[in-house]
Amino acid sequence: MFFHIVLERNMQLHPRYFGRNLRDNLVSKLMKDVEGTCSGRHGFVVAVTGIENIGKGLIRDGTGFVTFPVKYQCVVFRPFKGEILEAVVTMVNKMGFFAEAGPVQIFVSNHLIPDDMEFQSGDMPNYTTSDGSVKIQKDSEVRLKIIGTRVDATEIFCIGTIKDDFLGVINDPATV
Amino acid sequence: MSGEEEENAAELKIGDEFLKAKCLMNCEVSLILEHKYEQLQQTSDDPMNQVSQVFEKSLQYVKRFSRYKNPDAVRQVREILARYQLAEFELCVLGNLCPETVEEAIAMVPSIKTRGRAQDDEAIEKMLNDLSLIKKFE
Repeated sequence: MFFHIVLERNMQLHPRYFGRNLRDNLVSKLMKDVEGTCSGRHGFVVAVTGIENIGKGLIRDGTGFVTFPVKYQCVVFRPFKGEILEAVVTMVNKMGFFAEAGPVQIFVSNHLIPDDMEFQSGDMPNYTTSDGSVKIQKDSEVRLKIIGTRVDATEIFCIGTIKDDFLGVINDPATV
Repeated sequence: MSGEEEENAAELKIGDEFLKAKCLMNCEVSLILEHKYEQLQQTSDDPMNQVSQVFEKSLQYVKRFSRYKNPDAVRQVREILARYQLAEFELCVLGNLCPETVEEAIAMVPSIKTRGRAQDDEAIEKMLNDLSLIKKFE
């Protein structure tokens, strides 16, 4: 899910940026620093949308750098266990398939794909029901439920399932 | 972290910080990101180079999965859903997935039923009807 939240960060600024454009410099450095980053607590920072408040700067001994506490609003993407969302399938193999929902990767193991869907190898590997009516392949859109998340320093990785009511393929690229 | 273990969106356990935060539906995110992208286009020749991969992927994703395209419809969706005493998170899941039946809505957002609010099937059905009307007249 996407959220609009307020975060705080201590920004260090080199003395060469002091002057009339200090604020602009600070804001553009903030965007460069935080957009695209990921933390386990807040998820992926997608875009900074506004500055709430810039606190008083503190000059660091010895270096001349100044540290400003900056409060800013931003759009973040944070997946939650138990959340249901839509995703695009990016890769299918005999272990299961990978899907992407925005910046996050989700793996659905073949144990969490309904039992009546069988893996078919070939040019376009896919999972298909025995009657051929439903097919999951690259670029399919699926609705899935996140059942686990793993967080490391720069990425969040999710495990999902489509073995539940109202989950599964929502649009098959081959039939559109 | 012990809070991490108990996280479960189906029961609306998403941590205080996010529970109080403003959730955004995909269509709202799409408006925000496209606006930001346009601003970048005005200031530089090659905006795709300026943005992070996270931004690019998110923009593609929300464009693909936005149920409502025009800004008025997006606002109406939020207004309608706001009448039903939903948590922000629940509101956005419903706005994103647009379930068609009451049963589907409850499967998508189990917390509507469990939190003991006066959310009976009729109220949910009316809500879903209102939503599908916006879609129709968009």
